[in-house]
Amino acid sequence: MTASEKNPIVKIIGGKIWGLFGSLKFTLFILFSLAIVSVIGTLLQQNQSLQFYIAEYGSKWTSLILHIGLEDMYHAWWFSMLLVFLVSNIIVCTIDRFPPKWKATLEAKVDVDAKFIKNLTNNHTIALQDEPQAAKEKIFNILHKKRYKIKEANNTEGVSLYASKGMIGRFGSDVVHVSLLLILVGVIVGSIFGFKDSGAFYEGEVTTIPVADFQFGIDKSWHGIPLPKVERQKKASAIQLKLDKFWIDYYETGQIKQYNSVLTVSDDGREVIKGKQIWVNAPLHYKGLTFYQSSYGLAYDRVKEAQFFLQDSKTKKAVGSPFQVDWNMPYDIPGTDYRIKVVSFVSDFAYDPTTKTIYPKSAEHNNPAINVEIYKKDGKPVGSPWLFYNMPELFTQIPGSNYELVFSGYKGIVYTGLSINRDPGTVIVWSGATLMILGCLMAFFIFHKRVWVHVRKGRNETEVHLGGMINKNKFTFEQELLEIVESIRGVKK
Amino acid sequence: MKVIMSLLFFDMAFWFYLATMLFYFAYWITKKELLGQASTVLAIISTFAIFMMLLFRTKESGHAPFSNLYESMTFFVWVISIAYLIMEFKYKLRVIGAFVMAIAFIAMFATSKLPYRFQDIQPLNPALQSIWFELHVFSAFIGYAGFGIAFGMAIVYLIKARFEERKASNFLIDRLPFSNILDELSYKSIAWGFIFFTLGALVLGAVWANKAWGTYWSWDPKETWSLITWFIYAAYLHARVTRGWRGKKAAYVAVFGFLSTIFLYWGVSFVLPGLHAYASQ
Ligand code: HEM
Repeated sequence: MTASEKNPIVKIIGGKIWGLFGSLKFTLFILFSLAIVSVIGTLLQQNQSLQFYIAEYGSKWTSLILHIGLEDMYHAWWFSMLLVFLVSNIIVCTIDRFPPKWKATLEAKVDVDAKFIKNLTNNHTIALQDEPQAAKEKIFNILHKKRYKIKEANNTEGVSLYASKGMIGRFGSDVVHVSLLLILVGVIVGSIFGFKDSGAFYEGEVTTIPVADFQFGIDKSWHGIPLPKVERQKKASAIQLKLDKFWIDYYETGQIKQYNSVLTVSDDGREVIKGKQIWVNAPLHYKGLTFYQSSYGLAYDRVKEAQFFLQDSKTKKAVGSPFQVDWNMPYDIPGTDYRIKVVSFVSDFAYDPTTKTIYPKSAEHNNPAINVEIYKKDGKPVGSPWLFYNMPELFTQIPGSNYELVFSGYKGIVYTGLSINRDPGTVIVWSGATLMILGCLMAFFIFHKRVWVHVRKGRNETEVHLGGMINKNKFTFEQELLEIVESIRGVKK
Repeated sequence: MKVIMSLLFFDMAFWFYLATMLFYFAYWITKKELLGQASTVLAIISTFAIFMMLLFRTKESGHAPFSNLYESMTFFVWVISIAYLIMEFKYKLRVIGAFVMAIAFIAMFATSKLPYRFQDIQPLNPALQSIWFELHVFSAFIGYAGFGIAFGMAIVYLIKARFEERKASNFLIDRLPFSNILDELSYKSIAWGFIFFTLGALVLGAVWANKAWGTYWSWDPKETWSLITWFIYAAYLHARVTRGWRGKKAAYVAVFGFLSTIFLYWGVSFVLPGLHAYASQ
């Protein structure tokens, strides 16, 4: 009867399935499947748009791809299933193999006879002139010096010794397997409780940082079976972030060397971190939140200043010289009695007729448009037109005048793109990773060496039988045994 | 004048590696002890030349010498040479040097054929300026070297095992170590490789990605290929303890593992798009 047949869980689940999950061949199958499936994931670009797949593979293949979930395969049910198989495989294997291994390792036979030793692959017979007791002590000392842990037993034939070292090496693989489970736990914790956000930050501006708010409940949408459910909502926190400064460092060759932001964090209105510089690879940590330098760009919804000039609406000749107008600051146009104010901006103009709103189609500066309010000097509003940088001839007439206003340039505002991240799973992942390396070191480099010795009185000398076993690394062990034998024989080395 | 020193040592090392490889083959064929000793001396000189190349490269570029394909390939050659020399010293099996040095020379040859823009010293882009990046590559390449040696041993194993099975005899094959020794050497190299690969390619890579981008894993092609490679070597480790998979099948897995490693290193850079592509910088 094997260990697994005694197990009560086994009877319930059924021996066949248990047997499958307890088999190493199944492990190989899972590992190869994971490898092959991942290869597909790198050949077929993931998470692209529908148009991309249709253009690349045609509509027939695309529908197949979408059906199987190949376009987001690392989140497909069958990929998760392979991981579940891997985990079950590890758990079943461990339940099956760990207890007997533990027992065999801890409760090795001490009381053995010469026959047992002669059956070991590595065995030696030595004849000594010493008395059995003295011989045993000598052997004990030699093994002890080699850091073996030794147990001894007396029997009718003589005395036997059992010496072993490196037992923990046996459990290296178990440590690796547990560490793998731990890493997966960390990943799951991260995917449930972690959250990630990003945003554009402008110099001088203060932003309230959102955090995730969790709601636990029961979800019965899957065949009416109650399953735990975690809902996340973004909510404002007491943490505020201010960007003091953003700049880019360049190499002499003009290539970008580094992006830098200086941040000030306040919590509950109190400044807790003041003027901390971050850059790519050096994020800022505060209360489990991490702020990363992730990108930068030109603002899509504001400018620092805009440039205009006036032209005669008939001759289309410029009147006076161009002038610069600061964002949201009333400006008296020289030589006229008009005053203008820049009130909004979009980098890529688009109009939604249903809601009658103007919005930026993208963050790119493809079609910059600016919204100005025009007044008479006495404050009487005249109009608030949108002007287009790419189409200077459109909608430019100042009502009731001979002037046209032309939007001829602008200075954008650079923002820094920061990612904000909280992932309580990372600690678990890093612990698992550390454990995995430790486990590998144990499994690969600590060998379980076992030596049995039997000493008995022969006809006219003392007869010593010595044999050993090792779980791997046989060749170096043969060497070590020979050394032990030679020092027992008294050969100086 | 500055750039020339590292290129000079590279060229020198190139010819030394060629000579080393030929000497090891000559030793294998003739079994002349003197040739064997000369091979070892040449291997040491080659390793030293590559070391000087890396040293000068570091001085010239101002950063650790594995920030592009050219530098990291050279680093790989250096690690595999040192690993081999340790092995030779420990196991005194000089014949297998022919195979390891062949791998080292092929790597040198491939490196020398890289287009010039990949050989050039490039300033580090923002994401690469991190001690974690350096440790990541350093450790991953020790892993690659372990896998490289294991690949050589697995090939020799497959040849030798075939002859042993048929009890066939051939003066060249007879001089190779017994197949069980080759199997053990292959396993040992993979054990070392697996630890450094796990630490370097996966763990430290994840730490670096987490520092730079705020995610420790994002399934980009390079990361995924590291994982694929890792699965294959995990399969190797388990094949060795599975009835019916020990021996030859396991050796084939080791061969596949290294092919996957090569793709991870070269294929991903040149064929697949992604964050890591050195080539697309
Ligand atoms: C990616 C997943 C896995 C990794 C990284 C892994 C890692 C390891 C390592 C490093 C060893 C030690 C090998 C050696 O000493 O040469 C090992 C041994 C072993 N593994 Fe896994 N393993 C994985 C999955 C599994 C699974 C799913 C099973 C389930 C059957 C399993 C069962 C075993 C067994 C039975 C041993 C031999 C252990 C012993 O004799 O102490 N492993 N594994």
